[in-house]
Amino acid sequence: MSPILLIAVPLGLAFIIPLLALASRKLPAYVPAVGMLFNLVVSLYLLPSVLSKPIVVRTAGFAPPFSIHLVAGPLGILLAALIALVGLLVAIYATGYIREGSVPRYHALYLLLLVGATGIVLTGDLFNLFVFFEILCISSYALVGYRGDKAGIESAVKYLIQGAIGSSLVLVGIGFLYGLFGTLSMADIAGNIHSVRPITVFISMAFLVTGFGVEAAIFPLNAWLPDAHSSAPSSISAILSGIAIKAGLYAVARVLFTVYGAETFLPFILVLGLLTLLVGEMSAFSQNNIKRLLAYSSMGQMGLIVFALGLASAASVEGALFLVVSHGLAKALLFLSVGYMIYRTGSMEISSLHGMAKRMPVSSLCFAIGAFSLVGLPPFIGFPGKFMVVRAALEKGDALYTVLVAIALLGTVVEGAYFFRIVQGLYFKPAPEGAVAETGEGREAPFSALLPACVLAAAILVVGVCPQILTDYVGPAASDLLDKAAYIRHVLGV
Amino acid sequence: MSFLEDYVHYGGCFALIMVGLYVVLVKSNLIKVIIGINLIDTGINLFLISAGYIRTGTAPIFSGAAQEPGKMVDPVPQALVLTAIVIGVSVLALALSLAIRLHGHYDTLDLRKIKELRW
Repeated sequence: MSPILLIAVPLGLAFIIPLLALASRKLPAYVPAVGMLFNLVVSLYLLPSVLSKPIVVRTAGFAPPFSIHLVAGPLGILLAALIALVGLLVAIYATGYIREGSVPRYHALYLLLLVGATGIVLTGDLFNLFVFFEILCISSYALVGYRGDKAGIESAVKYLIQGAIGSSLVLVGIGFLYGLFGTLSMADIAGNIHSVRPITVFISMAFLVTGFGVEAAIFPLNAWLPDAHSSAPSSISAILSGIAIKAGLYAVARVLFTVYGAETFLPFILVLGLLTLLVGEMSAFSQNNIKRLLAYSSMGQMGLIVFALGLASAASVEGALFLVVSHGLAKALLFLSVGYMIYRTGSMEISSLHGMAKRMPVSSLCFAIGAFSLVGLPPFIGFPGKFMVVRAALEKGDALYTVLVAIALLGTVVEGAYFFRIVQGLYFKPAPEGAVAETGEGREAPFSALLPACVLAAAILVVGVCPQILTDYVGPAASDLLDKAAYIRHVLGV
Repeated sequence: MSFLEDYVHYGGCFALIMVGLYVVLVKSNLIKVIIGINLIDTGINLFLISAGYIRTGTAPIFSGAAQEPGKMVDPVPQALVLTAIVIGVSVLALALSLAIRLHGHYDTLDLRKIKELRW
């Protein structure tokens, strides 16, 4: 089993979808699920073997650094497995949820988005990273505007303009690096990074981090996020919040830690993370639109993850990766469970969801589980993640870090305030007047929507109760990111 | 003078990128913004090409016996630029089609008038 299949098979399937659509109307909807199931099986099969030694895939028989190569380390395969799991569940959800518009195009673009994300986490070549990044970005611009309504098109345009500028900055950074080192292999650049003056390297790093930071939704660059995540169809919101911004964050982290090894730059990242967290949570608190609230909450969670990465100790990076997984699962669950609530009531106002627990008990329960997990209550997956980050910050032993983590926890309190308010509304407030009569729909979401939501909720509970399932893999993944020398040695084979 | 001759093309590339950035940031007409994005792309492509260019260089083909490797133009940036052009064209096509849809909804392309979504 070669990790290249994780990219090649879904990519091939994505382009088969338009052909299948000529033969059958129903078939295209199931193709993404098949592709992602394949990816999930392959990545789980590869995961134990890459823990000891990453698999380096050569293309055209040239050894790195002269070819485009994939580096399937513990981090890459772990994230590929996360992408495949969330992608599979959302694909099942979309079989029933996406009815209007050009359905085959939706599924083809959806699969391309996931191919882009998988490629980002597996590639070892800087320009290849850019190409996969663009695949991810272009398909997500198109999917945000999929329904073609006013809000969707407007936010797709915003997202496209900001994303295109971000990608251009990335390309300038890559051009600088190629001019300096004459290679595009991340391992080769990382090995020679200290051979040139720091200021010349810093220019390219600023370009790369700013460019990837747009997709990773780091604070001053994230104006597109609340619009894009809230105007997209709910299945796409789930993927954008759960997967796409994580792929951007992976690119930032890989460039910062592996390519540059920029320890002196990390306190700045730490502060940016804290700002992102506070701005995201404060804005979420004041929202009345449920999807915008969830989008801002994603921003806040990304801030916490960036904060943990900025601490840059082994324990904090483990915590950050744990949070990447936990936020990916929980936010996907929240968007999926809220999708049919919005569909049934026809409104995104939080007040229209009052009393939902009577009409849609399973969806409401799933929403509550996702919300509690994000806040970080103990039996759910969010708790070990936040706990690891707080412990890592306190282990630093500096009063400054204690103050910073206290500010970060303040963000969590705000988060708790708005999530508990929604859950209280779902369970204990009376339904708005005439809501049931008007729509005539007290019905629960269909099976194709409940199955993925319940699987996600179960995963959140199981990993929350025994976090060892995940920590066994998160540890090696963190050292994959931090241990630059080992990465270079594995890739270049010296 | 040789410094200027060696580096003047980089100045040109970045001037083009800056003009594009200025257009994106300042103009409120969506079509102009898209043109600005395209200018940035073009500037970056020129930058990449000039990073690998050798004056009076030859094509990197090893068929003839008399070829000197030191005189060959680096082919990698050219491959990168081909890819970047394709990506730029697809972003451009998507942006223009979104602009058509946006005009259908609002009857204007003035970005100052299109602001239903706010923080």
